[in-house]
This record gives sequence, C-alpha cells and structure tokens, in this order.
Amino acid sequence: MYDFKAVKPVAKAHELIDTVLSRVMRKSATQIHPQFHITRVREFYMTKVRLAQTFWEEKLGQIVTDFPRLDDIHPFYADLINVLYDRDHYKLALGQVNGAKNIITAIGKDYVRALKYGDTAFRCKHIKRAALGRMCTVVRKHKAALEYLEEVRKHLARLPAINPNTRTLLVCGFPNVGKSSFMNKVTNADVDVQPYAFTTKSLFVGHCDYRYVPWQVIDTPGILDKPLEARNTIEMQSITALAHLQAAILFFLDISETCGHSIQAQCDLFDSIKPLFARKPLTIVCTKTDLQPMSTLDDASKALIAATAKDAGASITSLSNVTEEGVMVVRNEACDQLLASRTDAKKAGSRLAEVSHRLVVTMPKPRDTRARPSHIPASVARARAADAAGEDLPMDADEAAAAAAAASSHSAAGPAAAASSRTEGIRKLEVDLEREQGGVGVYSADMSKNYLLDEEDWKRDVMPEIMDGRNVVDYVDPEILTRLEALEAEEAALEARYSREAAAASALEAAKTPLERAEAIAEARLAKAVRGQRAVRSMQSRLRQATNSAVMPKTVRGRAMTRPGLAAHLETLGMDASGAAAVAKAAPVRRQGKRGRSTDRRPEDGEGADGSDVEMDEGVERAKRRRSKSVMKGVAAPQEGEGFRDLEMKSRAIKSSRRAQKKMQSEGRKGEGDRFIGTKMPKHLFSGKRGIGTTDWR
Amino acid sequence: MPQNEYMEMHRKRYGRRLDHEERIRKKEAREAHRNSEMSKKLQGIRAKLFHKQRFKEKVAMKKTIAAHEEKDSRARVAPDSTAAMPHYLLDREGVSRAKVLSNTVKQKRKEKAGKWSVPIPKVKPIADDEMFNIIKTGKKQNKAWKRMITKVTFVGEGFTRKPPKYERFIRPMALRHKKAHVTHPELQATFCLDIIGVKKNPSSTMYTQLGVITKGTVIEVNVSDLGLVTPAGKVVWGKYAQVTNNPEMDNCINAVLLV
Repeated sequence: MYDFKAVKPVAKAHELIDTVLSRVMRKSATQIHPQFHITRVREFYMTKVRLAQTFWEEKLGQIVTDFPRLDDIHPFYADLINVLYDRDHYKLALGQVNGAKNIITAIGKDYVRALKYGDTAFRCKHIKRAALGRMCTVVRKHKAALEYLEEVRKHLARLPAINPNTRTLLVCGFPNVGKSSFMNKVTNADVDVQPYAFTTKSLFVGHCDYRYVPWQVIDTPGILDKPLEARNTIEMQSITALAHLQAAILFFLDISETCGHSIQAQCDLFDSIKPLFARKPLTIVCTKTDLQPMSTLDDASKALIAATAKDAGASITSLSNVTEEGVMVVRNEACDQLLASRTDAKKAGSRLAEVSHRLVVTMPKPRDTRARPSHIPASVARARAADAAGEDLPMDADEAAAAAAAASSHSAAGPAAAASSRTEGIRKLEVDLEREQGGVGVYSADMSKNYLLDEEDWKRDVMPEIMDGRNVVDYVDPEILTRLEALEAEEAALEARYSREAAAASALEAAKTPLERAEAIAEARLAKAVRGQRAVRSMQSRLRQATNSAVMPKTVRGRAMTRPGLAAHLETLGMDASGAAAVAKAAPVRRQGKRGRSTDRRPEDGEGADGSDVEMDEGVERAKRRRSKSVMKGVAAPQEGEGFRDLEMKSRAIKSSRRAQKKMQSEGRKGEGDRFIGTKMPKHLFSGKRGIGTTDWR
Repeated sequence: MPQNEYMEMHRKRYGRRLDHEERIRKKEAREAHRNSEMSKKLQGIRAKLFHKQRFKEKVAMKKTIAAHEEKDSRARVAPDSTAAMPHYLLDREGVSRAKVLSNTVKQKRKEKAGKWSVPIPKVKPIADDEMFNIIKTGKKQNKAWKRMITKVTFVGEGFTRKPPKYERFIRPMALRHKKAHVTHPELQATFCLDIIGVKKNPSSTMYTQLGVITKGTVIEVNVSDLGLVTPAGKVVWGKYAQVTNNPEMDNCINAVLLV
C-alpha cells in the first residue's frame, strides 16, 4: 500500500557536503586564468555557484519528498509514526531540511548577483568560495535532523506492510495469553513465541486464506490495564491498531490464569478499552483450554465472562493453541462475522445504490422435464464408494490382467512377480522389497532389473568398464548397429560381384562356342580393368591425403585441372569430349585472388604438345606458345667473384661486401640509399596525460 | 514477509555464520592496509578530503594517548613546610598530578584566546581607482565623470536616486547591504543585526559619506534585540561595531561590537 522501503537513504551532513562539492567540481569547467576576459571569469564562477545551488536543492528536496507526509497517509500510519518517532520531532526535522533548502536557494541567488560585480578573478573566486562555504554551513547546522531522519527511515522500512482497508483480524489481550501462538497457527507468519511477557514488542502481520480470499491477521503487543497517558510505546502500538483499523477483534482471555493475571483483571481491561471496539465485530476468545477446560471453569468466572461479553455484544469461543482445538473454528467464525459486517456496511452505503440498477440476476428456465445430471464414470463412482467405505479398491479381472502384464514387462522377477502382483493387485515397490529382505543397510537394490533392453537375458550381462587398459565408454558408439548393418550390406554386394567374376571365369572355361568364349574373355578383361583402375585411384587418394605440405587451394587446383585434363579424362571414359569442352568454355570463369598471370597458362615443359588440348582454339594456342630460347639465354650467368686476381682477394671481397650489407639487412633496408623512417612520432609514445606514477613504463 | 526486527530474530534463531568473528577481525586488520593504499592512490579533491580526515583522526588519536599518559604521570612535590602537618604525615612526600596543572594552563589559554583584544587598528588604504569604476557617458561616450562604486555600501531607508543626468555616484543594488553579522566580544555570540549607518570609513571621509563599507569601517548597528541597558537603566538601541572582513570578497559583513 505505502512503500516506505522506497525512501532513499539519508546521508550524513559531512557526506552530503563531500558529495555535492565534488559533484560541482566534476560537472563544471576547471580551467580559468586571470588573463581571461572578466565576463568569462564571472560566468565560470557563476556556473559553479548555480550548480552547487541546484545540487543542494536536489539532494534536500529528495529527502523532503521521499518521507511520507503525515497528513497524506492513512490515520493508522500517521498515528503509528507519532507513537514511534514523535510527530513533532518528525515534522520539525523535515521542516528544518526544507528550511535549509530555501536558505540555500536564497544564498545562491544572492551570490550570483554579487558575482556580476566582481571586477577581478580573485574577487570572483572569493565570492564563489564564500557562497559554497555558506551553503555547506547551513547543512552542517542540521546534522542532527539528518541523522534522526536516517534512523526513522531505517525503522520505517521495517514496519509491517499492513493494509488498513482490507479484511483484517486483530488479535489483542494481556501479555502472554497466546496471541502470537494463535498467529503462528493461523497464518504463514513466523512470530517469536516465548514463555515471558512482552515477547512481541511491535505489530506483526500475517496472511491466510479463507473462502478463497486473502485475510490479514495482525498480532499486537500485550496491553496492561492502565490509563492511556501511562502507556508506553509498545502498548501504544496496540492501541493505535485497535483505534484505526476496521477489523474483527479477537480479545484473548487466559482462563487458566497462567499469564499471571486473573480473569477479573482481564475482564477489567476489556471494559476499559471497550470504546476502541465500537462498531467492530468482537469475539472473546478463552484460551489455554488444555490447562483449564471450559467445562471445569468455576461458575463465578463463567458468569463474569458472559456478563462482560454481553455488555459489549461480543461472542465467546474457546481454543487451545497446544492441542489446536478450536483454533480454526475461532478464525472462521471471526472471518464470517467480519465478512457479514462488511457486507452490511456496503449495503448501507451509497455505493451499492449506484451500481445496483446495473445488476441483473437471471434464472434459467427448464426447457423440459428431463433430468440432466452430471456424468460420473462408473470407475470413479466405485472408487469414491470404496473410499467412503474405507477399503482398498477391488479389481476387475481385466484390470488385474493389465497390471500383471505391466509388472511382468517391467520387473525382472518375471512370472513369479506377475503372480504375486495378481494376488496383491499392486506392483511391489522397492520399499516393500527392502522391508522384506532385511531392511535398510542389508538390502541392496537391483538397479539392472528395470533396464529396457531388447532381450531379457542381456540385463544381467557384465559390462567391463576397462578393457585392454582403455575405458570402454570412450569407444561406445550409439549407432554401431546401424553401421554394422551398412557394412554387412556392402560386404554382401562385394561378395555378389566377385562371385559374378568367378562365374565369368568359369564361364570362360565352360564356354564351348568361340562367340561365347570371346564374350567371356571381354567380360573378364573389363573386370580386371575395373579392379586395376580402382587400385590406382585408391593409391592416388592415399598419396594425396598423406602429404605433409600445404595443400593447393581447391579453386586453383580445380581450374588447372579442367581444361587440359578434362578432355583426356572424358575420352578414357568413352564419352564425347567436344560438347563438354564447349560447355566449359562458355561457363564464366569466376576470378579469385588477385589479378595476375593466368594460372591455366601452358606448362613449361612440352606437356601441351601432346595435342590433347582440344578445347583451345587457334588464337589462344598461338598466344600461349612459348618463345624459343635465344642464344644469349644459353650463356651461363657470371659466377660470384670472377675477375679477381686470386682466390684470397676474391674471398676478401666477398666478405667485405657481405659485411657492408649486414647493417642494411638487419634494419630491413632496401639498400644503402634507403633512409626511410616509418613513423616519426608514434602516437602511443607521445600522447595522453601522465598520472602520478613514474614514467619508466614508456 | 520480513518485518520489524527480522535480522536480529534470524541471528537469535540461527546464529551468525561460523566464520563471522574471523571475518570481522580480518576486515579490521586490513583496514590499515586499505587506508594506506588509498592515501597513495587518491588524487585531487578526493586526496585532499581524505588526507584532511586522516590528519584529524591522527590528531585525535595522539591527543587521547597524551591524555591517558598524563593521567598516569605523577610528580613528587616538596611538602609545604609552612603549613601545619600532623606528625604521621611528616615523612611523606606530597604527590600532585600533572593533569590538574595542565588543565588550568589550558583553561587560561582558552580564556585568553576568547578575549577580543582590540578591533582592527590598522587598515590598508583604498585608492580611488580601486573603489570606483569609471563610466563613460555622452552620445560619443567621451565623458567620464560618472563613477560606479565597486565595494559594498550601505544605503539608508529613505534614499532616492538623483536623475541619471546628475547622478555622479552609482551604488549598485547587488552590493547594497542592510544587515551585518555582529559578534559580541564578551558574550562570544554572533547576531544578525540591522545597520543604522556608517560612522567612519578610515580610508576617506568621502567613502563615509557614500556609505562604503570596507574592512575596518565603523558602522552603527541596531542592538535593541539584544536587550542591552545603560548604567542608567535605559535600553540601548544603537551601538558601534567595526567590520572585520572584506565584505566585497565574502558578500556579507562581519563585525565586532565595540564595548
């Protein structure tokens, strides 16, 4: 309802000052020099003052708006805050914060105005300094108020989230009469219960469901019978809840008197706080009936309680939190009473009249006299009847058979188990087996009996985990069976082939006529050629895969192969190559890599001279033909060091030339004349501010 | 739903985590390391704030230590021979605690510091060109007889400006002040009082006439709120005070009451 948790933490005064000042520093410019034009200097400092003013307003304004205003919230909470934190103190603290905010606004305005007449940078700086200082002083003066508000915030966030307008049961009474125990029994709350008085020191709320709607149960601290002015904070919380919440009141009365107060005293308390119960459903709950049953209570006490209840128009019930006797009855009765009174209040109010003319109740008319009850399956009806009779469900013959089938398929015990399950009607559980065969620790469950395998006797097979020093699981292939099948099929096909070849050979021998003989020979030759070709292919493939060097990209390999090799390949396959060549020529060649010399250029050696390049037309052929070597090419290149006097001179010359090149090579220069410097000022070595650290990392 | 003292309740029921004490101890032990690291790492305003705080803590610590040591130190003093002494105390030496002595010294020092000796006897004279801003007037902006006062001024209640044509001195609204923070030297309390007038500006009589308030100026303030009475029993309402700050720098007037 109210989100008191949303209130932001209130910083301490000095923390606030640090925050605001450093924020001003960060959000405004930092560079200023006395030689700047004075308007610029003034603007610089005015910005700082204005920023400080807005930041202070923001911070203090948030505090003022965050905290709930007592006039705006429900009177229950307003009163609770008054009881817990003292209304005057609370308002004063918020007022002080608000006042500080206004003063800061005024200071900001004043100093900005004064800055307009600052004639030197020094004077402007001083005025700014004075402005910020005065703002901080104003806040520092309200240190105590800020601390108080922070404490209030912390406590406020922990208040129980009571909704003052919903269906509520309110439990009240003397200390130690069993209010909190009742609360723990009825709701999901977990309230501390101890055998001494004033265990509960504040209001607690719990929730429960009744009639499909949520209910709120409020546990109050115990109250003693004294005048209102003498009550302490703990009791005042109870009084606040009683006064402001429109709830069903459960007044707990300890008839065993073990709480230390007589029935008479408790009835007196009831009478003295009776004005708080006005116009609320009221129940007197006699507790601890396990110690003192209602039946054995003496007549005087009974009469006293009855008279008290009659005076206030309350109903009387009893419960025992120990035996849980009557707990739910009390709750349900109280809820019903409250519901009735709420309905009455709604009926009496004007809101009902506003909506009642829009309500229509329709009563469907029966169309004929036929009865149309809801359908209940026979088995369900039987089961319900059996449940009502309190016995096990008798089985039909077919149901029993189905159960037996299920048992036999799932249990390793087989027919025996099936038989037993037929007799008992229920499958045996592991728990039962365990109990039968020696209990926990003796019986070890058989994991394998419920395996779902193709054959029954596989279940008990021993599966080694390690075999030949290897982990078996590493080699398990879930698809091994399908693969095995594929392999076997291939094997069968091969067998058939070879048997055909053998048949051909035998046919050759068996052939009588020359014609048959010739046919047989041809077939045998063909078979041999196929075998040979296959062997060659497999060898090539193996070689290709075994290579340890870089692989030529497929794009390059593919193109190199197409033109020269294609025709010959097609010829060997006995196909017409001319058509394929035309197609290959017509197909656009996708360029890959950089432009350069054609890769399908004729090879160096006379491979192209064999005339197999049928697809090359004449022009291309001419262009690609290599120039014959000229005579000069035949002359050997001059050897290193020729033209020297002797070998010694030659070796010296070679050495010195290498030495001369050494530096160039180490620096990666093109030659002696290369004096190139790549980047004169590398960015990463010259840019950026330096921190306080040392400079040795650069 | 957690409500009220739910954290304490949980602690009561289930206790703290087992290494709680250890963690607290370690946290405390590491605090010094963390502080020293911060003091090396921080820069700028944060460093300034941090070191100021640390300095304060160190001073406080040293003072406490000194106070503890002082309590324990005892010095022997010779017994006062002139006073009569019972015979059973004759051979005892008197013991005095240093603390009492030092306390009185401190007390005296405090009192001395609190006393206002004399208000500012000497002030820096202010030249005209610092005090006035020349304002050019005329159609060609070639006349320079008009002046604007750049310091804080006091302008009386019923003051009406002259027509701009004849107005020689301009006293800007932003720099006009009506109130001063006056400290009573004996009460050691400061009050925000109305200014009645400027009695004397030591730099120049002209400044006095113009109502310029600078450091050392004697002003007259309305002290009727303080409830001071003359020896004759009349309520004093006007009293002189001397300005102790540079009002144009602070945009406020601080003064000491002359008693």
